[in-house]
Amino acid sequence: MSIRAQLLIGFSVLTLVFLIDFIVNKRLSANIEKNTTYLNNSEAVIRNSNMLHKNIIEMQSGFRGFLLTGQEVFLSPFYEGLQTVPLIIAQQQALQSTLPQRQRLDSIVTIHLKWVKYANSLISTKLDTLPEANAKYIELFETKLRMEVGKKLNDKIKEIFKTFDNYEYQLRQERKIALQKSVVTTNTITLTVTILSILLALLFGTYFINMITRRISNMVSLAEEISTGDFKEISDHKNDELNRLSFALNKMSMTLKKTFNELTKKNKELDQFAYVVSHDLKTPLRGINNIVLWMEEDLEVEISPEIKKNLNLIISRTARLENMINGLLEYAKVGKVQKGAETVDVLKLVREVIDLIVPKEFTVQIDGVMPFITTEKLHIEQVFSNLIANAVKYNQSEHPKIVIKSRDLKDYYEFTVKDNGIGIQKEYFEKIFVIFHTLQEKDAFESTGVGLAIVKKIIDDYKGTIKVESEVGKGSSFIFTWPKNMKPTKSE
Amino acid sequence: MKTILLIEDDYLDVESVKRALKKAQVPHVLHVSHNGADALNSLTTNENKIVPDIILLDINLPKMSGLEFLEIVKSYFSLQQIKIYIITTSSEEYDKMSAQHFDIAGYIVKPLDFNRKSNPDVEKLLKDLTE
Repeated sequence: MSIRAQLLIGFSVLTLVFLIDFIVNKRLSANIEKNTTYLNNSEAVIRNSNMLHKNIIEMQSGFRGFLLTGQEVFLSPFYEGLQTVPLIIAQQQALQSTLPQRQRLDSIVTIHLKWVKYANSLISTKLDTLPEANAKYIELFETKLRMEVGKKLNDKIKEIFKTFDNYEYQLRQERKIALQKSVVTTNTITLTVTILSILLALLFGTYFINMITRRISNMVSLAEEISTGDFKEISDHKNDELNRLSFALNKMSMTLKKTFNELTKKNKELDQFAYVVSHDLKTPLRGINNIVLWMEEDLEVEISPEIKKNLNLIISRTARLENMINGLLEYAKVGKVQKGAETVDVLKLVREVIDLIVPKEFTVQIDGVMPFITTEKLHIEQVFSNLIANAVKYNQSEHPKIVIKSRDLKDYYEFTVKDNGIGIQKEYFEKIFVIFHTLQEKDAFESTGVGLAIVKKIIDDYKGTIKVESEVGKGSSFIFTWPKNMKPTKSE
Repeated sequence: MKTILLIEDDYLDVESVKRALKKAQVPHVLHVSHNGADALNSLTTNENKIVPDIILLDINLPKMSGLEFLEIVKSYFSLQQIKIYIITTSSEEYDKMSAQHFDIAGYIVKPLDFNRKSNPDVEKLLKDLTE
């Protein structure tokens, strides 16, 4: 699956989880709201019930006071009750929700209306001042009051109120508990879901970061290995964008490896070729040389000076050819001999080379601090001997002088071999490093044109550089760099 | 007068040896074989058998190399008295070591020149020829 799809799925899952979280929270808070409303409702019902009961009791007290005293002033609570009680009842009916409570309220209403009717009949009779009214009141008094009709009604209503209130208290308690419970549940669920989503997000994030960084760092180390010439492959079995990248890297590594191997093989073949060719060329050459020598021996007396001169020319030319072949052999051998790197004291090495090849009449000056380098000693020695030998060979100055300098350039050392010799024309600055290329007539300086080619080959192997600065008649400077810590590229 | 068997395929090298012997004025009988197989044949056949005192042997020979020839000759008891000198162009240490492995009389790098006294093996050869 591609990383894009994985990321998309991951983020979708996370979004979904958060959405579910949101919906669950919404549901739970709706539950709390509902429970709160129930609780409030219960409390309102209790309040109304108390008020209703109080009003009814006040009506009853007023009624009783009037009956005892006959004074109308006691009736005012009764009349007020007639106004307010129906309003409170209507309010209560609007609030009421459970069936048994509604039935109880209905019973209260019925009994109350019955009582009002009973009370009204007594009140109107008592208020009547006609003489027959008195007899009627007495009758009512005897049949109703003495029979405790009103008291029974009052007791019944009181009983129902008690049940009603108890029931409502109970309900309120239950609702209170339900509310508390729903709050606790909501908290728990919300916390759990939130923690779960955070964990999921962390897990998802960690997985991605790990997967991507691990593979990228693998590729980075592969690239680093490739840059040091170690052509490896990394294994990556996932099927995504990064896999395509690592596949491309692997392919690049393998192509480089193949090319590099082929190149190494070709170089080896070329060196082998040069070696074999130069070796085999020497046999017929020596043959020619022998024949000429024998001719001279055999014809010593009869030979004319002209022929003798020509025979000698043949000998000198075959000698030059042999020198060239030896040079070619030496060139092919460059880098073949490797004893292993050692710490080379360049100052000591340069002094040894000077003692060996620089004649006494030369002034030699060494400038700068000559370093210690860990490298193949023979190679740097070959470079210095060839350059110093040239500085000696191509010098016709009356006061011949050679200056050797060194500079520290971070990863490299830079060395200069300077002379006050015959110098080189600018157009030959590149050509002098080509094998068998010589600038002077062959006979003036016996040169095969191999020395600088060998120098260049060695320095190339070490990934260093060499250049020449020169002015004809004034002298030349050969400036080359040598890495502080590196093996030659050719290890064959 | 010593009998010499020269085993050499190159005409010029044969000529060179002949001249060197002539220059040194050593009386001798010289037989020449152009390869190891012929030489071996001449040494072991019943007819026209060559019985040399000294063999001058090149290493780079067609068909059978000088070293192979050496190995076979040294396995014949009857031929073990012959002094064998290697005469070769190869100054490679490896070739010299391989040849010395077979109890040879000397190792001489071409060209053979009896005036070149610096090589003890050349002197030894001259002594063997004149004794």
